[in-house]
Amino acid sequence: MSSDPNETRQRLKAAVHYTVGRLCQKTGQDLRVEFSRQVIAAITETTYRQCDIFAKDLEAFARHAKRSTVSVEDVKLLARRSKALSNYIQNKSEELTQEQKELKKKSTGKRKSKDIEEESRE
Amino acid sequence: MAEADADVCFKKDTVSKLLSSFFTEDKTKLGGDAALLMAEMLQIFVKEAAVRSQKQAESEDCDQVDIEHFEKILPQLLMDF
Repeated sequence: MSSDPNETRQRLKAAVHYTVGRLCQKTGQDLRVEFSRQVIAAITETTYRQCDIFAKDLEAFARHAKRSTVSVEDVKLLARRSKALSNYIQNKSEELTQEQKELKKKSTGKRKSKDIEEESRE
Repeated sequence: MAEADADVCFKKDTVSKLLSSFFTEDKTKLGGDAALLMAEMLQIFVKEAAVRSQKQAESEDCDQVDIEHFEKILPQLLMDF
């Protein structure tokens, strides 16, 4: 990535814009509703600025716990304002830890079976 | 679009770089799991924005979501996050 902070910011915004566009398209396709370009740009800008707030909060939470790395616990604290959201994030984080436990267990076995699959395809 | 059915999500690297660019101290880092969870969080944020705007447009009998619909739902959205 470029060392110019301005260009980095533009690239990050472009990445957010792309995902926002796709999410909006996906939301609208069932009811055949279209999102105007202006709305997508506005949601992107809002998300980008919300990230600023999120990042500063996460940093403060981590520092309060005397850590320099933001952890899953900090993210859970970030989602405290809404009950449904915090439940959802809690479940997701449990899923993540579960997945990783399984990955660690199977990592050697899985890799071998995948290799075999690819070989047989070739 | 062929992959429209697949789950659209923010990339882990994007989220990581995005949040890191806002940290005030250089030594603050973002954990790997935390980045994945934040990707989920941002996805929810954008989805909420889209669905609420869409509902607002629907209640006004518009078949296109315009900036005025988003403007109306924005204050409550920001209070919920």
